[in-house]
Amino acid sequence: MDAVLIIQSLISGIMMGMVYALLGVGFSLTWGVMHVIHISHAAFGLIGAYLSYSLLQYCGVDPVVSAAVSVPLLFITACGLYQLLIRPITRAQNIVMASMILTFGLAIILENIMALIWKADPRVLTPTYSSGALIAGPFYFQYPHLVGFGLSVLGITAIYLFLKKTYTGMAVRAAWQQPEAAQLYGVNLYRISMITFALAVSTAGAGGISLALLNSFEPHSHNLWLIYLFLVVIVGGVGNVIGTALAGLIIGVITGLSMAFLPFQWVNLVTFGLLMIFLIFRPHGLIKQEGM
Amino acid sequence: MNKAYPVALAILVILLAAFPCIGPEVYYLSFMFSVFMYVILASSWNFIGGYGGYLSFGHAAFFGIGAFATAKLATMLQLPPMLTMLASIPAGGIAALVALIVGYPCLKIRGPYFSVVTLCFAFVVDLAVKNIEFLGGAEGLWLKFMDIPEKTSRTIMYEVMLLLMVVTLAVSWFLGRSRFGTGLTAIRSDEEVAETMAIPTAKLKIQAFVLSAFFPGVAGGLFAYYLGYIHADAVFSINISILIVLMAMFGGGGTWLGPIIGAVILTVVNEGLSTFAQAEIARIIYGALFIVVTIFMPNGIMDFFRKKGGKT
Repeated sequence: MDAVLIIQSLISGIMMGMVYALLGVGFSLTWGVMHVIHISHAAFGLIGAYLSYSLLQYCGVDPVVSAAVSVPLLFITACGLYQLLIRPITRAQNIVMASMILTFGLAIILENIMALIWKADPRVLTPTYSSGALIAGPFYFQYPHLVGFGLSVLGITAIYLFLKKTYTGMAVRAAWQQPEAAQLYGVNLYRISMITFALAVSTAGAGGISLALLNSFEPHSHNLWLIYLFLVVIVGGVGNVIGTALAGLIIGVITGLSMAFLPFQWVNLVTFGLLMIFLIFRPHGLIKQEGM
Repeated sequence: MNKAYPVALAILVILLAAFPCIGPEVYYLSFMFSVFMYVILASSWNFIGGYGGYLSFGHAAFFGIGAFATAKLATMLQLPPMLTMLASIPAGGIAALVALIVGYPCLKIRGPYFSVVTLCFAFVVDLAVKNIEFLGGAEGLWLKFMDIPEKTSRTIMYEVMLLLMVVTLAVSWFLGRSRFGTGLTAIRSDEEVAETMAIPTAKLKIQAFVLSAFFPGVAGGLFAYYLGYIHADAVFSINISILIVLMAMFGGGGTWLGPIIGAVILTVVNEGLSTFAQAEIARIIYGALFIVVTIFMPNGIMDFFRKKGGKT
């Protein structure tokens, strides 16, 4: 086996993994903080991807620039959706289940709205630099892949800093670890939930744009994305940002290596098989979490 | 329990069994066939998911295993068409055996993690079947069909599926009233407490899981025979797994009636919408239905009406 080829596919696996980590961070937060399993999370990512596709196609706006437009747009939309849909179900006996059914319905709606607007054929983001590539020695990196990777590293770092450094971020972490105690200290759980949800949806948008720079996408792509989200979040531990990033790297390494050594159709089989084994032995993620 | 209940149910079953006699179009027979099938799937999922509270997101795997096992048994043993239908019973046994092997490690995991591990299991089985040449690989498998008129064969399939549904529902009903079912409900409420009350949780869980895999396996075998050709995409689709869970939870898990209501409503609505509206619009309405139901009846349809009926 050619060493260059192995390293090349390892690196592209890691890039892919980081993008899934950015998509997964928000999913992990809504699950951890609000106990809402947000099935339509990946569909919002896809909306981000389609928005940047349209902005690029009709206005010639670069995907990175359009992220600055679509991310705040998704944030505001998500605030509204939280008030309208998520808040009413917080009184359900089993909020995990109720949220899954509700957001499953939302995912179907979003998917079909996208199919109506953008039609069902696969699309690719083709920014001006799409044909260029960085050549470093024997390795070869396409510019869109590098940009997508950079965007996701940036996104994860931003979320991490927000949670660690800002007052609101600390309140989010408090609500995740000890909701009652946080409430006693004057944290408004509803407001925090809304911010968490909106933040999660907007990072999904950024993640969707990054993923669109690496892969082609169509209205039902979010189903496969969602499975990778579950993968990243479970391996990383629910609600854990660093864990999610680490899980992205690990899953990237695994898919990269299996891409180098195995025929294409076995790659997913190996990934899911390994995850199953992982879950059986370490069901609560890689890192032991404090305060849970 | 009211004495009129069993009588009414028996009359309903007889009416359903007599339905082909009035000579409906084949379309209605096929439609009822799929309604019965989803009732079986949702009700048997309910054994572990509803009573036990272990939400399996991989139940389509057992459905698919049953389908492929039946097809494989039929072609390997050169079974005549009528016997192929019977081959779905050992196929259900194979599905149950797989459930036993998989369930043993997986049922130790709780909550959403169990859901994800079963989801992965369904994917692994799906991808494995697609990659194994012996099981038809990417091409799928063909089954021999009865050489009798379509309507007669459809009627036979209708009656067989109805029979399987009645058996599944009887099991579901008895389960709700037995010690076994009560033990499962205790596990759903609080597994630690159940264990300290000397309920053999591990044993109950695995039994419920195996039982809940058997019926989808048999149904899968009948479905394979009904289609005459099976491909991994038709039976292992993740959408089937999710649909099973949604049907049961939609109606209200943990009761024997809930999954039936959920399965009937969702199949009828889905079929009605796809006949009368443009595909995308139909799906949007379908999605909105989930949202409306969860917001107004967050604990399932059954729970909603029970609260309305009972003056508590």
